[in-house]
Amino acid sequence: MMGVNEKRGSAFPEGGVLETPKKTLFQENWGLFRKNRLAMAGLMIFVAFFIIAVTGRVLTYGRDPYFNPALVRLQEKLRPPLSKPNLETLKPEEVPRLGIYLFGTDDLGRDVFSRMFQGSWVSLTVGFVAVGIAVVIGVFLGGIGGYYGSSQINLGSLLASVLLGGGIIGILLGGTAVGVLMVLLGAAVAAVLIRMGNSKAKRPIPMGFSVLFLNLFSVDVLITGLIDIMLCFPSFFLILTVVALLPASIYTIMIVIGLTSWMGAARFVRAEFLSLREQDFVTAARALGVSNWRIIFRHMVPNAMAPVLVSATIGIATAILTEAGLSFLGFGVPPPDATWGNILSNGKNFLFDAPWLTFVPGVAVLIVVLAFNLFGEGLREVLNPKLRER
Amino acid sequence: MALRNEILLSVHDLKVFFHSDNTVSRAVDGVSYDVREGETVCLVGESGCGKTVSALAILGLVPQPPGEIPGGEILFKGKNLLDLDEEALQEIRGKEISMIFQEPMTSLNPVFTIGDQIEEAITTHDTVEKTEAHRMTVELLTDVGIASPEERMRDYPHNLSGGQRQRVMIAMSLACKPDLVIADEPTTALDVTIQDQILHLFRELKEKRQMALLYITHNLAVVAEIADRIHVMYAGIFAEVGNVEQIFRNPCHPYTMGLLASLPSRARKGQPLYSIPGAVPDPAYKPQGCPFHPRCPYVQENCRREFPEMCDFEDHHFARCPVTYRQRKGS
Repeated sequence: MMGVNEKRGSAFPEGGVLETPKKTLFQENWGLFRKNRLAMAGLMIFVAFFIIAVTGRVLTYGRDPYFNPALVRLQEKLRPPLSKPNLETLKPEEVPRLGIYLFGTDDLGRDVFSRMFQGSWVSLTVGFVAVGIAVVIGVFLGGIGGYYGSSQINLGSLLASVLLGGGIIGILLGGTAVGVLMVLLGAAVAAVLIRMGNSKAKRPIPMGFSVLFLNLFSVDVLITGLIDIMLCFPSFFLILTVVALLPASIYTIMIVIGLTSWMGAARFVRAEFLSLREQDFVTAARALGVSNWRIIFRHMVPNAMAPVLVSATIGIATAILTEAGLSFLGFGVPPPDATWGNILSNGKNFLFDAPWLTFVPGVAVLIVVLAFNLFGEGLREVLNPKLRER
Repeated sequence: MALRNEILLSVHDLKVFFHSDNTVSRAVDGVSYDVREGETVCLVGESGCGKTVSALAILGLVPQPPGEIPGGEILFKGKNLLDLDEEALQEIRGKEISMIFQEPMTSLNPVFTIGDQIEEAITTHDTVEKTEAHRMTVELLTDVGIASPEERMRDYPHNLSGGQRQRVMIAMSLACKPDLVIADEPTTALDVTIQDQILHLFRELKEKRQMALLYITHNLAVVAEIADRIHVMYAGIFAEVGNVEQIFRNPCHPYTMGLLASLPSRARKGQPLYSIPGAVPDPAYKPQGCPFHPRCPYVQENCRREFPEMCDFEDHHFARCPVTYRQRKGS
């Protein structure tokens, strides 16, 4: 009898609760991801690129950087990769740190390795910041479009927001008097709306004001319309125009790329939200008294993030390409700061004399973009169970 | 018998319509009932008879449009919930009235641990410390009979079984100690043994917390277990109202009689089960007169023309059938 009990005790520890080995969702997904060799290669290159870019930031910026990408050695111009510097003509501080020109030198004798090193940081930040902006805008607009889709926008709200927005822009651009007037008018319209718009208060709306409550179109029409309009523009040329008008700086480029590439994320999130908002857990959250904003951003967005994450990864690759393209056309980051695009752009003048000036940044862009795409594809397969094991 | 306490929720002539292209579905077509403190009131009926919609209307969760509440009032502690705006309703939802849904599989958010979700239910209405919320969550999970709550709190919904998830849902609905809990077919998706456990849990919790329960189901066996008062719904109206004894021993509406006759326990061995002929009418095209008349074995000429009155059979036992009323009382 004792023996039986002991046996039971060992099979069911802690008072009968059988512990099963547990895997978190992350462990499960990681297990699947690891099987995909191409995606793993992508991830490794991604991590390596990240480390290189961050070290590049540390070692190539500042007043006296370890690798100086801007150091001009005219006597050493257009040296091929792996060539040794001519120590007789160089001052000691001009000798490259590695002892050789790993990737050669350009037409001003600048070390291409240092310049590539510096450019990797630019590419990384452009990729991440631009996609970050795009995802934030996309999730916000897509979420609102998907959740509040069928709500109507009335004439009053539209008028108020146009007046307020226009007024603030007016003030910022210098037309203070007109701007203040518009803001005041907008605030007045908003006040009228709030005062009378409480639909549950069963008061008749006075004559003349009822026109403010004329429903124009639904939120969904506004947001999908905005997405479609943005998609109509050939975005690269839109970016070119904007960059030509604004002062050239790396931040302008990040913001402009971000502002013109949020449509994919918005569409994904909207589509996910259309199905998520009918789910029981959303009704359950509402029945618990959770506010609409909290439902959207805390309960629904995490459920809708999988496709966004995938498109963001691939979006980073696109943003890096766009930045390189802009720099290649001369609209990008102003010199002397190096980016992969402007090294390439510079190199095209010496295509036959110094092919490494185009080859090195070209291959770098190729590898990084390919790695991000492979990583994104792998992520898509893991996060979408329908694509698994095929 | 159960009429001793104060009225907590009083629904008067509630109507909920749904508009589609050219038709109006009268999902709930004028129902009135009271829920008293500490009482269990059951709404029983077939699928599509308006049970769930009438419950959603209490919390203001009927989507409008396409839904519309053209008439009636829902008085909760003297306030008409239909007049409140969204913010005021959010204050009541979960805090004073909470709801448990039919599908425990989909009613929990798949990306958060159940501990997070219960803590959220607590912190939505009360400002409490993180550690305090944690302690309350453990207590709630213990109350609803979840073993080793500390560990289960770190689990995601997919780690739990259906019964455990429904227990978690119940814990969430109890988080702010509401006065009224609406349970919308909470045991339908569960198997019979778990169903029994959950019903026991409801009874236990009701004793312990002195809350009222509005229980919606299509399962007569469940009703017999827990109800103080029963409202039998058919096509958006109440066919019969009474307590368990009255409804089960002395059904007065032909629909209730049909429902009881079709219970397997009443069938004799070897005989086919009884079923009410016909089907529930489309809520957009209800028959004139008594909505049950096309299926009623006792139908008379009047039933096809006139909408039947609620008839008072005995002490708080009503049925919407003048024909049986005349039979029982007249002769």
